[in-house]
Amino acid sequence: MLSATDIHADLAGTPILRGVSLTARPGQITMIVGPNGSGKTTLLRALTQDLPYRGRVLLDGADIAALPGWELATRRAVLPQASRIAFPFTVLEIVRLGLIAAATPAPGHRASEALARVGLAGFEGRFYQDLSGGEQQRAQLARVLAQVWDPVGPDGARWLFLDEPVASLDIGHQLEVMEIMADYARAGGGVVAVMHDLNLTAIHADQVLLMQDGRCLAAGPPAAVFTDAILSAAYGCTVRVNATPPAPATFVLPHMARRAG
Amino acid sequence: MATADNSPTRDFVAGDRQGRARRVMLGLVALLLVTSTLSLGIGASGVSLWSVLGQIARAEAVAPREALILFDIRAPRLALGLLVGAALAVSGAVMQGLFRNPLADPGLVGVGAGAGLGAITAIVLGGLLPLALQDVVGFYLVPLAAFLGGWLTTLFLYRISTSRGRTSVAVMLLGGIALGALAGAVSGVLIYMADDAQLRDLTFWGLGSLAGATWDKVLVAGPLIALVLVVTPFLAQSLNALALGEGPAAHLGIPVQRMKTISILTVAGATGAAVAVSGGIGFVGIVVPHLLRILTGPDHRYLLPNAALLGAALLVGADMIARSVIAPAELPIGIVTATLGGPFFLWILLRNRSLLDL
Amino acid sequence: MAAGPFGTLRTQRRAPLKPALLMLAVIAGQMRSPAQADPAERVLALGGAVTEIVYALGQGDRLVARDTTSTYPPEAAALPDVGYVRALSPEGVLSVAPDLILAIEGSGPPETMEVLRAADIALATVPEGYDATAIVAKITVVAQALEVPEAGARLVAEVEAALAGAIAAGRTQTPPRVLFILSLQGGRIMAAGADTAAQGIIELAGGVNALSGFNGYQQVSDEAVLLADPDVILMMDRSGEHAAEATDILTHPVLGQTRAAQTGAILHQPGLLLLGFGPRTPQAVEALSAAFRQAQG
Repeated sequence: MLSATDIHADLAGTPILRGVSLTARPGQITMIVGPNGSGKTTLLRALTQDLPYRGRVLLDGADIAALPGWELATRRAVLPQASRIAFPFTVLEIVRLGLIAAATPAPGHRASEALARVGLAGFEGRFYQDLSGGEQQRAQLARVLAQVWDPVGPDGARWLFLDEPVASLDIGHQLEVMEIMADYARAGGGVVAVMHDLNLTAIHADQVLLMQDGRCLAAGPPAAVFTDAILSAAYGCTVRVNATPPAPATFVLPHMARRAG
Repeated sequence: MATADNSPTRDFVAGDRQGRARRVMLGLVALLLVTSTLSLGIGASGVSLWSVLGQIARAEAVAPREALILFDIRAPRLALGLLVGAALAVSGAVMQGLFRNPLADPGLVGVGAGAGLGAITAIVLGGLLPLALQDVVGFYLVPLAAFLGGWLTTLFLYRISTSRGRTSVAVMLLGGIALGALAGAVSGVLIYMADDAQLRDLTFWGLGSLAGATWDKVLVAGPLIALVLVVTPFLAQSLNALALGEGPAAHLGIPVQRMKTISILTVAGATGAAVAVSGGIGFVGIVVPHLLRILTGPDHRYLLPNAALLGAALLVGADMIARSVIAPAELPIGIVTATLGGPFFLWILLRNRSLLDL
Repeated sequence: MAAGPFGTLRTQRRAPLKPALLMLAVIAGQMRSPAQADPAERVLALGGAVTEIVYALGQGDRLVARDTTSTYPPEAAALPDVGYVRALSPEGVLSVAPDLILAIEGSGPPETMEVLRAADIALATVPEGYDATAIVAKITVVAQALEVPEAGARLVAEVEAALAGAIAAGRTQTPPRVLFILSLQGGRIMAAGADTAAQGIIELAGGVNALSGFNGYQQVSDEAVLLADPDVILMMDRSGEHAAEATDILTHPVLGQTRAAQTGAILHQPGLLLLGFGPRTPQAVEALSAAFRQAQG
């Protein structure tokens, strides 16, 4: 179990997180949503020690600040937002970097397996720079998956921390990535993701943390958090949940989409 | 597919360049052996390596002059060329990995500027030292000053760019530029004070040369350079991970800060030592890693040893040219590396543009 | 001396550069020379003045090589060139197989000289200096090293007499104030101060250095030159650049205002002749003082 208590963080002297607490359980998908600038990404970065924070973050009872980096790396993997890579690495070489941290030596085909999992089978020999934004993001996801391939290890659940994993993906690949997250959780692993898309969150999240202005505005299952009143207050506009537009409108909901095959 | 996976001898995966990197490594070892042998065999005096080896094999006494040329002139020169070439190329590769920039070189952490300032100070003001001290350091004053200058500058830069246990690469880079400008200004004052002969010395120092190679220099510079060659391969995977960024590298369990400290300090030591004994030889540190990245990819597990091999071979080869073309006089080696390497490098750049657009 | 490959090059303490000790070093160098029995037959001369002295002693046929600065007499230019006198390579020097090296003071780098000493080649260091005694000392050292003391004594007497005559002839009531310009790159004036060969030769020729207060060759401020207002401007002779340099001086905002420029007293003399301080120095003094007289009308 991951539990964060009373997390505070500042960026350049401005308080960004003002006391956020969060509990995420293995076997579940925990999603962090909120308007721009509400501190979602900062919270994820605090949870993964990417920036200095005050408060406590416990992973299965142990303070992560006290765990050595290599040990943490065997138990959790972090997918950053779109990232630039120095030097012309091939996709295969990038994914194999995830294996550096793997708890047990991985079989030789693991990298290719991970690539196939994110729909990039056959991309091994391509240069990372030559991929589209969405392909790069999925290649990074393959690297992260390779790092904590088995959702449950001998010492407990493994964790995926994903910062907007579907941000630059089309709807088909969004479904694919959401499915990966769901499978990982179903197999006993823990997933914590920062999300922008409320519909995808509503479909897949077991727990939602809605942030506003550096604080937790509401937390709980999507049905409890996504109400007209709460969302309208959070996003500063009138929002209606589960309401369809008047007749002639066109809309596409991920709820109704299914992956081909 | 399944058959390929089950085959223990050959499971080729696209995008895996390790096999090629290993073959290139073998090629480079061969190249290094050839250039080293040639370098021992070729020289203005025409002393033949084979005839000397023959004499040794037949247990005959080697003529003192031939022994001197082979063992006290060519051999230390070869050893110094190997060490300096390897040090410059590996240091360049490590710095580029650390700064995540293919244009970085040890100069960025102030070694070059500091070493240059040290050398200039020693050349121009060395005469002001008390005679007793001059006697002790003798003609190693310039190398010593260059090494200290480079090392101290880097330490200083490292101090100011590290706060709360975290070294900011950006601060270090900009600080390096500022310190470089400052060192340039001080050098300017010293150059103004220098007399004619000192100016000529400065020019020759700046162009670099292995002509002053002695076993003493090899023994002094050797350990510092060996340190970087031994230590940095252990950092190879960390440097690979660092290409993803500092955060992602840390999430892969890489002790980013410790690795920065180790690489900066060892590189400063090795580059300082290399510059101290050979003067300013530019170019090797940027070109060698570049070429190898194009050839076998940026995987530091192969890039670092291959850079050491190619850097050593390149410098020994360039030195051979430097002392042959206008024998018995010789060219500063920096002129040779730049004249040969410049156009070649341009050609490579033009042919491989897409790989370099980062 | 012939220790193993690692043994011969241990750092030897450098002797302080005092002429008297240098003389001792020369003698010591010859004492341990293996070729002591026979005079050296393969001589390497380092330094323009050294080479000139060897030829003036009639020993030019014993030379096997020279350095880049040895360009006179013309026969010298035909010899193999071992490189710039302060950046010699040990194997380059050894490749001409000298049994005696005559090196002007400051030849180097020191590492190379160390290797040459280890190679058991007789090495005579010729002291540098910019006056009459220095020339005598150079000739004496070279003649001794070449084991032609009689020829040396003759040359010393000759040069001393010629020089004394030239100096006496050059003496004037009002010594001209001479500005020596080493280079005029981009309008910046690089001029000679004290402790330079240029000042030495100017004084021998009966002039005085128009600039004082600094040593060596330095870039000087325009105002200092204006204040010094030299009677004569002296430059080194670079083939074919006379006219261009004269124009540069006349059009230079400051040099153009000096008395020298306005009276046309701009002199060019061959660099090695002027600054070499060798056997041709009396000639240089004569030529220069004649030019001074002419310039002063």
